Parts: sequence; structure tokens; C-alpha cells
Amino acid sequence: MPLPAQPPALQVSGYGLDYETPSGRFAALRDIDLSIARSEVLGLVGESGSGKTSLAFAILRDLGANARETGGSIRLAGEELTAKSTRELEAIRGRRIAMVFQDPGTSLNPTLPLGEQLAEVLRRHQGLSRRQAWREAEAALARVALKTPAEMMRRYPHEVSGGEKQRVAIATAFACQPDCILFDEPTTALDIITARQILELFERLQEETGVASLYISHDLALVSRIADRVAVIHRGRIVEEEPAAQVFSAPREDYTRQLIASVPRPDRRLVAPAPAAAAPLLEVEALTVRYGRDRLLDRLRGRASRQVEGNRAISLAVRPGEIFGIVGESGSGKSTLARALAGLNPFEGSFSFEGRRFARPAELDRAYRRAVQIVFQHPDSSLNPRQQIREILARPLRLYDAPGAASLAERVEALLAEVQLPADFARKYPHQLSGGEKQRVAIARAFASRPQLVICDEITSALDVSIQAQIVQLLLSLRERFGTTYLFITHDLNLIRQIAHRIAVMYRGDLVELVEVEALAAAGPRHAYTRALLEAVPTPVG
Amino acid sequence: MSLSYFIRRCGYIVFTLLVVSLLVFGITQLLPGNAAVMLLGENATPEALAAVSSRLGLDQPAWLQYWHWLSGVLAGDFGTSLRTGLPVGPMIFGALGRSLLLAAAALLLMLAVAVPLGVVAALKRGRLADLLVSLVSYVGVSVPEFVTATIVLILLADPALRLFPASGYVPLGEDFWAGLHHLVLPVLTISVILVAHVSRMVRSEMVDVLHSDYVRAARLKGLRRRTVLIRHALRNALLPTITVVALDVGYLLGGIIVVEEIFAFPGIGRQLIVAIQARDLPAIQAGALVMAATYGLANFAADIAYAWLDKRIQYD
Amino acid sequence: MTEALARLLRSPQGALGSALLLALAVPVVAGPWLAPYDPEQFHFTARLLGPGPDFWLGTDQFGRDLLSRLLVGARSTVLMAVAATALGTGLGAVIGNVSAFAGGRLDEIVMRLLDAVMAIPGLLFALLIVTALGASELNALIAIGITFTPGMARIARSVALTVRKQDYVSAAIARGETQGYIVLREMLPNCVAPIIVEATIRVAFAVMLLATLSFLGLGAQPPSSEWGLMVAEARQFIFRNPWMIVWPGIAIAVVAVGFNLLGDGLRDALNPRT
Repeated sequence: MPLPAQPPALQVSGYGLDYETPSGRFAALRDIDLSIARSEVLGLVGESGSGKTSLAFAILRDLGANARETGGSIRLAGEELTAKSTRELEAIRGRRIAMVFQDPGTSLNPTLPLGEQLAEVLRRHQGLSRRQAWREAEAALARVALKTPAEMMRRYPHEVSGGEKQRVAIATAFACQPDCILFDEPTTALDIITARQILELFERLQEETGVASLYISHDLALVSRIADRVAVIHRGRIVEEEPAAQVFSAPREDYTRQLIASVPRPDRRLVAPAPAAAAPLLEVEALTVRYGRDRLLDRLRGRASRQVEGNRAISLAVRPGEIFGIVGESGSGKSTLARALAGLNPFEGSFSFEGRRFARPAELDRAYRRAVQIVFQHPDSSLNPRQQIREILARPLRLYDAPGAASLAERVEALLAEVQLPADFARKYPHQLSGGEKQRVAIARAFASRPQLVICDEITSALDVSIQAQIVQLLLSLRERFGTTYLFITHDLNLIRQIAHRIAVMYRGDLVELVEVEALAAAGPRHAYTRALLEAVPTPVG
Repeated sequence: MSLSYFIRRCGYIVFTLLVVSLLVFGITQLLPGNAAVMLLGENATPEALAAVSSRLGLDQPAWLQYWHWLSGVLAGDFGTSLRTGLPVGPMIFGALGRSLLLAAAALLLMLAVAVPLGVVAALKRGRLADLLVSLVSYVGVSVPEFVTATIVLILLADPALRLFPASGYVPLGEDFWAGLHHLVLPVLTISVILVAHVSRMVRSEMVDVLHSDYVRAARLKGLRRRTVLIRHALRNALLPTITVVALDVGYLLGGIIVVEEIFAFPGIGRQLIVAIQARDLPAIQAGALVMAATYGLANFAADIAYAWLDKRIQYD
Repeated sequence: MTEALARLLRSPQGALGSALLLALAVPVVAGPWLAPYDPEQFHFTARLLGPGPDFWLGTDQFGRDLLSRLLVGARSTVLMAVAATALGTGLGAVIGNVSAFAGGRLDEIVMRLLDAVMAIPGLLFALLIVTALGASELNALIAIGITFTPGMARIARSVALTVRKQDYVSAAIARGETQGYIVLREMLPNCVAPIIVEATIRVAFAVMLLATLSFLGLGAQPPSSEWGLMVAEARQFIFRNPWMIVWPGIAIAVVAVGFNLLGDGLRDALNPRT
């Protein structure tokens, strides 16, 4: 028996949006059509600048002064939103449509207790008294599985963890049982395991309440797991919309195919098996790094030392020619180790490189520094903004090499070619380059000295997935050519399982597990923390 | 705010006052002209000079003089004025009280004007009101107090019109309205720079806060515009302003020196100028020390208030 | 460099500030030649005049031509302020950078000391120094320079510390560059811009402080036509000829506004990332 046709919870049709910029109009969104029924989850996937967040704010009718809409309609349960006045919108937002932001650290007011920020929505939209709203808010916090809701109500944002903050934000969004909730990358700012827990919470609440959800993310693997349908947005247009199960298996558009090819998958290894075991290139012995300094006042008051151990007695050996992965969440000490090996952190213990032992940063000589290079996470900060690319690249050439037959300019050009950048980039400044291009320059700088070991410290985590795939390809081809060994540090478990030979898992300054990737795939992890990490990461299916 | 932060901050203020006292004493030691010569005149006999020098302790090494001076100050004894022969302490603190009245009135007026101006400019960003406010603040911070004061005098104190008195002071307790009347012009003058500066700070803080995620989140919760502005935006925008206002107390005290001189207001600034002109060493030292200490304490109070109000910062 | 200049002139503050200061450069460079009269010449028949055909801006109590006095006074007012700021910036930059590099206890001690010195209000500090050195234009300049030093040192230090945390400096250290190379080639070019911006804005403040000291009789001495002193000398005549105060007052304000605007314009123009 056909039910009477119910309008979708959210329907956007023919919607377009421009931004007025000093250099003319910029088309942010074009011909957007999408519709979400009750109880449905629509995943919206796009890279940075694709317009996915603009769409969320357009739906909520919260656009900047420089936004110009070019037409189309946005309906919430059949009701046209584009025609509403500010006053009418105020009554709808928070009550019938709500949003969860990416970073709970910035989306909660730092000077108001968490409970206030939740209760104020209930008072505004449900006409509850202060006391009723407080009680109701406490119950809402219990529903998002916060352990001590009453205590949580009185806390300030800085007093709780990122995961707890995001739970409060989610409780606020669900507080008035809206028709539709927009989730803008709600797990991206969180650590791997916390992100997994938030995702589970989302799935449970979504199921219980039957709210229509627009889940925005850059992570195709994640979205294809939790959404019913997936829409891919590229340069302001929705290029493809598929049932979630088919995105990976049967993409129709070129862009989607390219995106899927870029998504790291552990089942598609990109490297040949590890070279035969030889004497280790780098051998780290009980390396400890401490941060902080004792305060006079604390010492006088007999307080314990404030020094924090970034690394605790780490020992590992890297074989020549292998890709050695180090994974861990933020604060696990993986970058601390990288910086110590690059001579940037004072350390205790020692390490040997090609049989030569170093026990202090001051002992790292030119030969070592030449043989071991580091590439940093943020290309914005790792290239001097006041130097042209040719100066940046010429410096290591001049520093490490006797003058050869080729002129410096020619060698800079050759370096640029190695990282697949055109020769005329030599005269550009870093701010004229995109993020991926900057990272290529940083890689070229590292390879200028023809190093044996390159430390890659989260070098792709600030980049979009398609750029990440290109950078990884570049690294692999450089390795093929020069036989370079990599120490590859990342929090991306899928990526590291795709390219590393062995993986060291770090947790709060300790190395908890060291495992061959092939053994990991065959036998699974041994340490509970590694298992938790692996279970928390969605892998692409299909 | 933890106890240890408070203790540490108290330690800093003691250290600061110590350094300030050293500087004040050190600089004034360089003063040309010997105090003994000042007292007895140029024609005094060397014997008389030596006698007075030893009575004043001027023949002692500098560090010992400093020690005597400092221990005196700590006991509340600021020495005797070379000009009037009276103890400096009561004189200075009486003047300080009158100056603080002036300063407090100027701060109140400033807050009452600058905060709304800054908020309006931020809300109307890029529009006429914003442009006007920023024009006013550019000009305001660029006109020294002595120019403002003379313009104020020309406009509001013309003897023919008798709008406001051009100079003098009447205690509020004696005749409240006359006292207030005398305060108007000096307060107006000092406030101009402060209003210009603080309104600019409030504007920029407010612009930042209005662009923050949490204000957007508050708006998208459907809260009323007023609630968003006051409860979420203004609270956070005004916090950093506390520190700015405390720093401006420094300008204010500088301004007070000039303004008291021009309006013949018997405060600590005017006393200091008189002391400088008369080379009255104990009075200069006491005046400078008390002014600097006032400023130091204002900043101390602001830091404590900030730490107490801003829940985010975990001072350990 | 030309790119930064173009950016400066595109911003309203930068353009207006540059225009004001260019206009100001004329009297600073050529004031004595442009002046229609000798600034110290008395005209007993034309005292306390308002603006008119003979004396465009009017005359003072001795019948001296106000326009000529302003034009000639520009040099001592503006150049002195620039010199005082340069002195304070130079000293401050050295102290701030040394402290930032030394780090540790020394850095902490230096910063605490500077904080303590900054607890003395600027004008009061300058006043004390001038009193100790004796009232003169040069001593006022030195006093203002010293007064600016702690503030500039703090700024220089915080800029240096920010730059030192950048990964391009880490990269240079990891590469095994010498201290000298890192400081001169990697850090210095990135430290200069924010200091220039701050110094530019401080010139405005120096102009005002210098004029205030002269006004209080502790800076320039008669018969100088320093603008602050002109205002001080005009005080007795404010109701008989307000122009005597209005012109130098406006002149001081224009200089200060010009440097304030230029500073704000430079802040945006010198940022390579925009």
C-alpha cells in the first residue's frame, strides 16, 4: 500500500553560490541537487576547496557578506528556507536543523560551562525554565554516554578532553530532536581511537532518533562505511552520487575513480618485499628525550620534577633500503624521535649510523647530517618565505658538495625536475606555490645531498588525499632511483600498511610493538593498543 | 588560578618595585647640583656645605644612601622636601589621592565611550560607522594631551562664556558640584587618547570573536542575536581588553602629568613637575616612585583579575 | 620589494600614510628655503595676527611668521623623533635578540628586568632621564630612545622566538648550518619586518613625547621653533590668537597620524604570505 508522499527531510535543488573576491567572482557551488529522507545518512565527500563546507552553511542560511546566491531552493521538510527572514531562521536553527562542527576545541565557548551551552538551546527552543533545562541537559549528556553528566555540566571546555567536548556538541545538536543534522568532519580533529568512539556514538544516535544526516568528510573510506548514499563534490559541483556500497566498486566519473585510486588501502601494497636483512643502517639504543625544565619554586616546595618524557628508552634498528614506519596518535612521541635523530632535540642514550655511534647532538657531524635528511609536516613553515625556491635548493648543494661541472642553476633545475616541478619555479617564492608543490620543494631540498636516510615526519597529513597519493608516488620513485631508506612517520594506518616494510607503534612515549607489515596482515597485531588502533580505522571496502 | 601562580606574581611585583626604586634613585643621583648647595645657596662656605652634606648623608657611598632611603620609604618616611621643609610623604599621598580621583573618572568615562564605539565599529565592519570610528581613533591617538588640553580650553573655557573653570580643584566633599565642575576639562582631555586606543582594541578583539567558530555555533543553535552578541561574543572580546586597559594606565599617568600642569590641578603629576623645576630631590624621588608603583600595582591587579576571569588559562 | 611597495599603496592606510609623510618630507628637507620669512625675525607692527595675505598662517606675540616657524621647526620635530625611535629600536633589537638566543636563566632575568623597567610610565621615565641629563633637545632624544628600549626589546625577542620555532630554521639546524648563517640568512630577514612596523608606529609616539617634553620646558629651548615648544609659548595667548596653537597642534597630529597609518599599512604589505 503506497504511503502518502512525505517530503524529504532536506532537499536542495538547483542551488548555486558565488563569492565576491577582490579578483572577481568565484563560483563556490553550482547546480547542487541533493535530498535526504528521514533516517537516512547522505555522505558528502570532497577535498579542500570543493565547497562542501560552504554548502553546509548555505543550508543553514549563514553566509558571509561576500556571498551571492545564484538561485535554487533549499527545503527543510518541504519548507523553503531561502525565503525565511532572520527571525524565522533563528526559530528553526537548533530546533529543526542543527550542526556539529569539525573542531570542538573552537566551536564551544571557552568562557561558559558546558552545561550552560547545552541548556541554553533547550531554554530557547523548548521554553523550559532554567532548572528544567538544566535537568534535561544532564539527561542529554547521559545519552551521549558521558560518564559523569552532572559534573560535566559544570566544567569548562578546557577542562575536558577533545572527545568529551565533541560529545557535548553532539548532545547539543540532538537536544531538540531536529529533522536534520549537518555533521562537518566531526572526527577529523580527534585522535584515531577517540574518532572511532565518536563515530559509534553517531551511528547509535542516528539509529535511535531517525534524524536525517548530512555527513561531510574528506575521507571516502569512512563515509562509505557509515552513509546510505555517498555524493562526491568537486569544484562546487556534485559529480556523482551512488549507494554507499557501490562507490568503491563501481564509480562512474573520472574524478571519483581518481579519488578512489588515491585512497590508501592496506590490501594494495605499493612496495616490493623488504630487501634481505643486512647490517642495520641506523640503530637506536635506549633513546630518551625529556622536555621542560625544573622550576625553582617547585623545587623549593619539594614538588616532583616537571620534566616530561617525550620518548622513553626507544630502541630500534632500521635496515638499509627499507621503509620503516612509525605510527601513533598525537602525543605518542613519534615526532620527538624524528627530531632527536635530526639533531633538533637533546637526547639521552645513543644511536649508531653506519656503525658510527652518537651520544650527543653536538657529535652529529657534517657527514651524518648529509646522509640523514628530514622533511617536515607543514610545508608553509618549512620553506623560508623570504627566499626564492632557487636559494632554498641551492643552499644544500653549496653546503655539501664540491663544485661540480654543472652550474648551480643547472643543478637546481635538475633537482626541480627530479620532483617533477617546472624549471621556472626556481624564481618563485613559497607563497606562490600550492601545498603539494611546496612539499615537493621540501623533498627536493632533502634529496639535494643524495642522502641515505630521509626522515618523513607526517609529510602528507596536511595535504589532500589526491596530493598525498602523488607525493607518495614521488617518494617511491625517488627511492627506486637512489635506493634511499625512509623513516616514515604518520598517524595514517592505511597509508603506512600500504608502503612500509616494518611498523613501530608508539604510545605515550613508548614503543609498544614492532612488526613486519606482512606478518601483521597474516597474523594480526600482538599488542592490545595496536589492535585498538587497527580496529578504529575504517578501511575501504569493495 | 592556582595559589602558586598568585605567589609567583606577588614575587614579580616585589622584584619590579625594587628595580623601580633602584632606577629612580640611580637616575636622580645623576642630577646636576648638590642638594647641600641647593639648601644653602651658591655662596655658602665649604665648611657649612660639608656639615650639611654629612647631615644629609651625602658623603656616604651611594649604596648606603640608597639603603637609608629605601628603609625610610618602607617605614613610610619619604624624607623632607628641600623646597618647603615639610615631610614629603603626606604631601605626596594627598596629591596621589586627588590624582587617582582624576584617573578613575577618566577610566570610567573611557570605558563608557570606548566599549560601545568598538562594538559598533566591529558590527558595522567596513561600513560608514566603522570608518568614522577608525578615523576618530587614528586622530585621537595622534594628538598629544597638551594640544587636546589647549583645544578644550579654547572651546570650553573661554572666560567670556564661563562654561567650565580653566583651572583649579575643589574637593568633592567640600562642594560636590563645584568639584565635579572642575574635573570636567582635565578628565575630558585625558580620556581622548584612551578612548581612541581602547575602542580600536575592542573593535579588533570583537571582529576576531565574531569570526570565531563558537559564535557561529551559537548563532546556528538559533539563539537570539542579542544573546549571541552579549553572552557569547562580548564576554570573550572584553577579557583581553582588561590587559590593554591596565597598560593604558601607564599612558594615563603620563597624561596626568601634562594635564595637571595645564589645568593647575594639585595632583601628583603637578607636584612632580614643581619638584623637578625646583630640583627638590626627595620630592622627585618620592613622586616618581609612587607613580611607578601605582602603575605596577595596576598591572598586577589586571593580571590577577584576568587569571581569575579567564577560565581557559591554567597558570601553574 | 617593489611588490611590497605596490601592496602598501593599494591599502587605504598605506596610501594615505605615505601621502601624508611625502608631503611632510618637503618641509623637513627644504623648510628653511621655503619659509617666506626668517623664523626668528620680529614684526612689531604685526603681532598676534590671524591668517592673512602677508602672513598666511598669522603671527605670534613677537610678530614672528607662524608659517616660517612651522616650516623650519619640521626638521627638529620629525628628524628628532625618527632618530629617537631608531636609537630605541637599535638598542632594543640587540637586547631582545641576545636574550632570545641565550635563552634559559639569562633570558628570564633580562625579561624580568625589562618588565620592571616598563613599570615606569613612558613619559615619567623620559622626564626623569631628561631631568638628570639636563633639559635640551639632544637629551630629550636620548631619553625617548632609552624609554623605548625595553618595549622594543620585548617585541624583538618575541619575534625572534617565533621565527626560531619555524621549521625552516629547524631545517637549517638539521642541515648543519653555522649559527651565523642561521641568524643572518634564515632568521634576520624574517625578523626585520615586524620590527619595522612597530618602529614606524612608535615614531608617531616619539613625535608626541618629544613635543610634550618641549612643552614642559625639558626639550627644545627657545628660540627654537620645535612644534611642542611653539604650543608651550602660545599658551598665554590662547584666547587672543588661537591660531598660534592650532597650527603646530595640527602639524603634530598630522605627523603622528601619518606614521600610525604607514605602520598599519606596512603590517599588511610586509607580510609575504598575503
